This record gives sequence, structure tokens and C-alpha cells, in this order.
Amino acid sequence: MVNTLAPETTRRAPHSRRAAVGAVDGRGRARRRQTVVAYLFLAPALLFFAVFLILPLGFALLLSLSRWTGFDLGDIDPVGLDNFTGLLADGSTFLTPVLTNTLLFALGTVALALAGSVLVATCIDKLRFQGLWRTLYFLPIVTTVVAVGNVWKYMYEPGGLVNGVLNALGLGSVAFLQDPDTALPAVVVVQAWASVGSAILVLTAGLKSIPGSYYEAAALDGAGPGTVFRRITLPLLRPSLLFVCVTQFLTGLQSFALIIVMTKGGPGDATNVAALEMYRQAFSHGDWGTASAAAFVLFAVVLAVTLAQLWFFRRTGEDA
Amino acid sequence: MNRRRFPWLSYLLVVTGAVVTVVPFLDMVMTSFKGPGEAGTLPYRFLPRALDLSNYRAAVDQLDLPLLFRNSVVATALITGSVLLTSSLAGYALAKLRFPGRDFVFRLVLSTMMFPPFLFFVPHFLILVHWPLAGGNDLLGRGGAGLTVSIVALAMPFLVNGFGIFLTRQFMIAIPDEVLEAARIDGAGEFAVWWRIVVPQTKPVVVTLALLTFVDAWNEYIWALLVSTADPDVMTLPVGIQLLQDHVDPARTMPVVMAGLVLSVLPVLTLFLLLQKHYIRGVMLSGLK
Repeated sequence: MVNTLAPETTRRAPHSRRAAVGAVDGRGRARRRQTVVAYLFLAPALLFFAVFLILPLGFALLLSLSRWTGFDLGDIDPVGLDNFTGLLADGSTFLTPVLTNTLLFALGTVALALAGSVLVATCIDKLRFQGLWRTLYFLPIVTTVVAVGNVWKYMYEPGGLVNGVLNALGLGSVAFLQDPDTALPAVVVVQAWASVGSAILVLTAGLKSIPGSYYEAAALDGAGPGTVFRRITLPLLRPSLLFVCVTQFLTGLQSFALIIVMTKGGPGDATNVAALEMYRQAFSHGDWGTASAAAFVLFAVVLAVTLAQLWFFRRTGEDA
Repeated sequence: MNRRRFPWLSYLLVVTGAVVTVVPFLDMVMTSFKGPGEAGTLPYRFLPRALDLSNYRAAVDQLDLPLLFRNSVVATALITGSVLLTSSLAGYALAKLRFPGRDFVFRLVLSTMMFPPFLFFVPHFLILVHWPLAGGNDLLGRGGAGLTVSIVALAMPFLVNGFGIFLTRQFMIAIPDEVLEAARIDGAGEFAVWWRIVVPQTKPVVVTLALLTFVDAWNEYIWALLVSTADPDVMTLPVGIQLLQDHVDPARTMPVVMAGLVLSVLPVLTLFLLLQKHYIRGVMLSGLK
């Protein structure tokens, strides 16, 4: 359609431009009309952001400072910072184990996914059928968390694949998701498994942008593969690494769908994370105030961790 | 590096990783064919004894699959259609129209990507519950269940996407102004310029955005879980299958759950494998934001 339309309009343009010269005084009106038209084009999006972004943020802030049963908007009872002090008080489970779990979950996921993706991406770069490999590694990303969680939950069971492999190697079975010591690492592995594909994608693109002449020069100078990796690949890959780090950390700090599916936060609070705790406070206990306060505390943690990473990468020589 | 020598070690690593990635999917398919007493028993066997299709029949029986599919399809279609339309409209205004407040609106769109989704679960749910004049509510949003008992509740918080607007705008900036100006001088209104010239030229970004949105919407779980708790009639596929697994003895139902999962995962995996170039480009673009 565009190929037939575009040339025709450009061809006709010089002819009608003569007519436009006389309409200079109409330009102010045209500009005003364009403003109206622009806001009409923007209206659906702006209306949506007003109702589903700004209003909810204000509402959540109000709730975090109130106690409310959730029925009549007139019954919202302001309590100041009580919800926050309740969360952060001694003996509250929110700091330990919940926030600690959240940080461990995110840290573990980032470490595993980063190590795996750097390794696989640098290797894929040397192989044939790169598209095929990337597609395979990408499959978990387009799969619903309900499938990922249930398949792994089943694989972790005594009669499941993981224990089957352990038994075949002569090792004893492990009750991965039932043992409080192994439950968190077990879900971390699944989260990393599910997110390594996108990290590989970003890193492969980063590797492709490194000029081949650098490697040739290094080879001429007789540098070994280890030196090349440390002195050329890693430094030039920094922007991609920063991106992977920041986005995976963000995802790790806030995701809880996988945990709901696999363990529901259990056993005990062994895999309970902040976003899940917020969800429970709201939808299991109807404590909207505490839930909203928890959401803002987690938001502050997310911001702090992100800024810390940007600061770290900038300090060590990379403009983000 | 050593490109002349055959990279054995790299192949070994990449293939091992690929096996680890793919085996859970194969295990899902294999388990879905296992007969009664065959799954979850010791010792573990990867292959089923026979191709037992009864799990698929049981999944279709125990799950109201037509309802679940319908809800998933309707919600996904609403979200994808709305995101494409609103992104294209807003993207056009931000890329090609001149008006006061443009930079501010653009910055607002960018800032919407900064807020993590978990901030919104509670207020979104409460806003839908107290939606005025819906589901038995009065003008002040009291008395009824609001919009939570409607299928549109599944889609509402996802109807506009800041990243979609941003992506579309970046793509539209590349369209030469002369082409649009010429059409305007010929008397075309802005709507006609958008629909007849800009939309056809942005097909690649539309396909990419459609795929990204479709996959996210189809796989969405937490919000759908909340809404279906309020009204089981709007349950989607992921929620329905998860519920099945929560309510029946795991040793017996795992194969049935796996059969349901295979059915629910197939549409997305097929779409991804057919159109992966567009999808992967989308992920790359989102990586450059």
C-alpha cells in the first residue's frame, strides 16, 4: 500500500505547494489545530495513565498510610507511618527472612544467569547454526510461568527427573522443595534457567559489535584465549553486561509468580519474598495498608539496588 | 580467537546447556503420556511405557477447556489490539506532530516504564472493585463487585503500554516529514495521514510489538489469578491448570496437569517458532531502550 501511495503524493507535492504559500496567515490556526489533533491521538493513552498509573500510585500511597477494611471508601482510617514501622519492627518477618530471601533470590538468579549466559554466548559466537542455539535457549522465555513452575516442581520430586539423575549417579534423593535449606536455591535455579535466554541474546549482540580487527591484532601479538577474553571481550562487553545485570536484578527482586506456583513461599517462610508477602497481606489477609507499605519498601529496595549498580559500573569506567 | 580449529569445547558447552534447557519440555511431554501409577514412582523413567492419550482426555474433561481458551483468547486479543492501536496513535503524535507539552508527555511515557508491576496489583484490584456504576456499584463505587466480574477486567491494566508507545515512536521518527507534509498539502487530515501513510510503513514494528504483547498477555498469571478468584467465569488457561494441580492428589494428576500444560503452551511455542525473527528483534529493541 505504501509503495503505491507515497510516490504519488510526493509527485503531486510541488504542484500544490504553490497554493499553500498564500495561506501563511492560516499557519497559526493550523498549529492550534495540530495541537488539538495531537492530544486527540494521545487521549486514549493519557486517559489510561491517569486511571491506571497516577490514580493507583496515589491510592497506594494513601493506603500505605491508612488502615482500611476495603469496603467503603469513607472508612479509610489514617494511621501515619504505622504500617511501615510495623513492617520494619523487631520480630517482624518482613526484614528476615522475607527481604533477605528476596535479595538472595535476586542475587542467586543474577549470578547464575550471568555466568551461564557469558559462558554460552561466547561459545555460541564460535559455532555454526547460531540462530538454532539461540532459539533453543529462548524457549523458556515464551513459556508461561505455570508450565515452567509445575514441570520443575515435578522434576524436583523424589520420583522426578532431577532425583532420577542423582540416583543414577549413585547419590541419594533430595527433597528439594520440602527441605527449608534447599528450597530457595532450588527455585533460584529455575528462575535462572528461565531467564538465561534473554541474557544470551543481549550478550551475543554485544559480542557481534566488537570489531574483529581487535582479535586479529591480539592474535598477531600472540595473546592467548584467556588474555583475549579478559583484556578485549570482557571490557568491550561491559554495556551489555550492565544491561543484563540491571534488568535481571529488577526481575529477580520483584518476581514471585514462579514461587507461588512452585512453593507458595514455603516450607515455612523459606522461599517467601517481598512481592509475595505483599500479595499475601493484601489478598489473603485483606490488610491493604500493610500490603501497600510493603510494596513501597520493595520499590525503595529496587531503586537503591539499581542505582548502586549504575554507580558501580560508572565508577569502574563505564557510562551507562 | 582460534576459528580454524574445530571448537570442541564450545560445542560441548553449548550442547549441554541446550539439553538442560530442552529436557524439562521433553519431560513435560513424556509425562503427559504416562499411564496411572507410572509418573512419580521410583525408579524414574524418562520414556512412557506406551502413548497413553487418556491424560489429554482427562484434561479436557476436568478443565473447562472451551471456557479457559475463550477467556485467554479474548483477554489476549483485547490487550494486543488495544496496545497496538494506542501505541500507534500516541507514537504518531509524539514522533510527527508539533504541539506544546510534547516533551513532557514523552517523558511521562518513559517514566511509566520505571514503575514495577507489583506496585499496582493492590490499587488496580481495588479500583476495579470500586469502579463506579459497574457490577452493581453505585456512583461512588459502593455496593457491588465492580468490574472484577467482567472479562474486560483481565485486560484492563494492560491496555496501554509505555514501552509500546516508545518503540512505535522511535520507529516512526524515521519516516520522512516530506511525505507527510505532501499528503497534508493535498488535503489529507491527520487521521488519514496516520492511517494511510504512517500505519502501512510501520508494519515491522507492529508485528514485533504484537508478538511481544501476545506472548506476555497469553502467559500472564498473577493478575488473572486475582480476577478469577473474584469470578471463576473469567479464568484463563494458566490459572485453570494451576487450580487443577492445587486441588487433586499430585501423584495421580501430574500427567493430567502436564497434558493441560502441553495444550496451553503449544499455541505460543508454535507462534514463537514461526515468527521468532520478529520476536527476537523486539527483545533486542527492548534491550536498547
